[in-house]
Amino acid sequence: MSEIKAKDFAPTGDAGEEKDAAKAHFDNLKTNKPRPPKPQYAVTIAVSSRTLFNMVTERKIYEDQGLEEYVAYQRDHENEPLMPGPAFPFVKALMTVNARLRQLYPDSEELFDIVLMTNNHAQVGVRLINSINHYGTLHLQPDISRLARRTAAAAHTFKGSPLYPNLHTMSLQLPFPLSDLTIERFCMTGGESPTGYLEAYMTNLYLSKDSEKVSEAIEEGIAAATMFMAVKENELSDTQLRVAFDGDAVLFSDESEIIVKEGGLDTFFAHEKKFENTPLAQGPLKCFLEALGKLQRKFYAKNERLNCPIRTFLVTARSAASSGARVLKTLRSWGLEIDEALFLAGAPKGPLLQKIKPHIFFDDQMFHIEGARELGTISAHVPYGIGQKYNKGKLIESPAKKK
Amino acid sequence: MEMVSTVQNTDVKQSLQKVNERLLEKNPAESLLFDVVLIATDSQQQSSRIISSTSHYGLEVGRFCFSSREDLVETLVVNNVQLFLSTDRDEALQVSQKGVLSALLGRQEAPSESLRVMLCGDAIVRPDCDPVPASRGAAQSFSARLGEMRGRFGVSGSPLSIVLVTSSGGSKSCGVALQTLRSRGLSVDEAYCLAGAPRGPILSLLRPHFLLGDGVIDLED
Repeated sequence: MSEIKAKDFAPTGDAGEEKDAAKAHFDNLKTNKPRPPKPQYAVTIAVSSRTLFNMVTERKIYEDQGLEEYVAYQRDHENEPLMPGPAFPFVKALMTVNARLRQLYPDSEELFDIVLMTNNHAQVGVRLINSINHYGTLHLQPDISRLARRTAAAAHTFKGSPLYPNLHTMSLQLPFPLSDLTIERFCMTGGESPTGYLEAYMTNLYLSKDSEKVSEAIEEGIAAATMFMAVKENELSDTQLRVAFDGDAVLFSDESEIIVKEGGLDTFFAHEKKFENTPLAQGPLKCFLEALGKLQRKFYAKNERLNCPIRTFLVTARSAASSGARVLKTLRSWGLEIDEALFLAGAPKGPLLQKIKPHIFFDDQMFHIEGARELGTISAHVPYGIGQKYNKGKLIESPAKKK
Repeated sequence: MEMVSTVQNTDVKQSLQKVNERLLEKNPAESLLFDVVLIATDSQQQSSRIISSTSHYGLEVGRFCFSSREDLVETLVVNNVQLFLSTDRDEALQVSQKGVLSALLGRQEAPSESLRVMLCGDAIVRPDCDPVPASRGAAQSFSARLGEMRGRFGVSGSPLSIVLVTSSGGSKSCGVALQTLRSRGLSVDEAYCLAGAPRGPILSLLRPHFLLGDGVIDLED
């Protein structure tokens, strides 16, 4: 007995026309708010709720008292905005870049798109949305009042000029675009893993506090990292997005790290010298650097190289003399630029990062992450490569996989 | 609650059955259950085949109804049907324009653990953009009953999942939809705000059993 097959869903007659009309109506709805870009053109960054907001207290309730209590707590505190989390400064910086891009290219959809990707229950989502809206409007007020004071002061100096009578009717001209915290897209999966949705949104970078989800994403070929809050807060730029990357096992594959771990430094130096002109293989974050480079070039095209609101850094334990050339040649062979390359020759990364003040620093080794955090850098661990099997230089016996 | 289907979509019926089983587990005297009526508008020769294959698949169908296409809406009203399920978009649209709530059945590739009901939030937030205003009242009362049923289970492990999708508004309007539904007694489990992103890739992951509130825009956009 054959199953009755579902009919084709193609629009027919009246139903089809109505569908087109409704779609056109939605598409043409006017709004003053900038519309989110289409995923295929945008650089999509997916952030989890715990990276965007500080949910340490709430997480504890979930762990100690269970899911029902946690959801009830969030509902009871729905109208209290959450405090910013580790990814918050990074997301704000992305918005700043978007504002500059929109100024130069008003019709382009090559922008950053932020998606909130959480496995939280939708009832918790109400508090998340309220928190996003809170920061969306809050950002504007201090800037406007500061600007109003400056404009009033400037008006004072023109008192004698024939223009003076008109100054108080002049509208506020903003010399730079203000940016909102506007996160318009989200997936609240109510318990399911968000990995499938990452692909559906063509995600370029996924940030989460959950290392299992991050590992899953990396296995699917999506750049991802586990975020860690800094122990203290460095003051970060609010006009330029600054991103720092480790080299091996982040931008590049872990092939060289394997040699160090198994053969020692001298073997490593010899190997790197020998293969200086052979590009290294790609690492999990290479594509994200590429996406940043694409947006940087849009600024260069408009003569904004000196004023570019994106700056990238390579912070590597390699030394320039013995193993640096291969790294730079690899980047060149990929057609990628990095603004500053810093070779530490084994020195700790923390102090240097403290000077650079990136909005985010990616590294595959936890001891570098810890070192960075202690000195105020927001860090993101990339769980990739041989570095995961070692802790402080010793090989860890891998535990049986949890079911 | 009466639900009617024109096609043998076994997975949705099995999921409906599972919800009933879990409800009765909690309260053997439960009266808020799904009652499935199978309505066939094809020729009468199919009737015995339909009945025998329904029992073959172990599906508990409350009633069978054989109606002609012209009398379909009348049959639904007479049987006090609260939701009409179909895979035929035109049929579903016609029925909802006459005031009976209808929904499109989703294509199920793999059986799922719970009955997944998807709601389109755009019409909730902007009722003037509702493509089928005639069935709005029926939609609201159905949501309330569904909410009551969902409320019998806890946050996790529910055999019934309510999924909200908004296609065009931003996160604020999706938040409004969540709170509006909550005020009508329906607590949503999963929420997806597309804000203009293409629906196809997300919908294929969501795998709803049926989609409410989107009379015109179909499931496979």
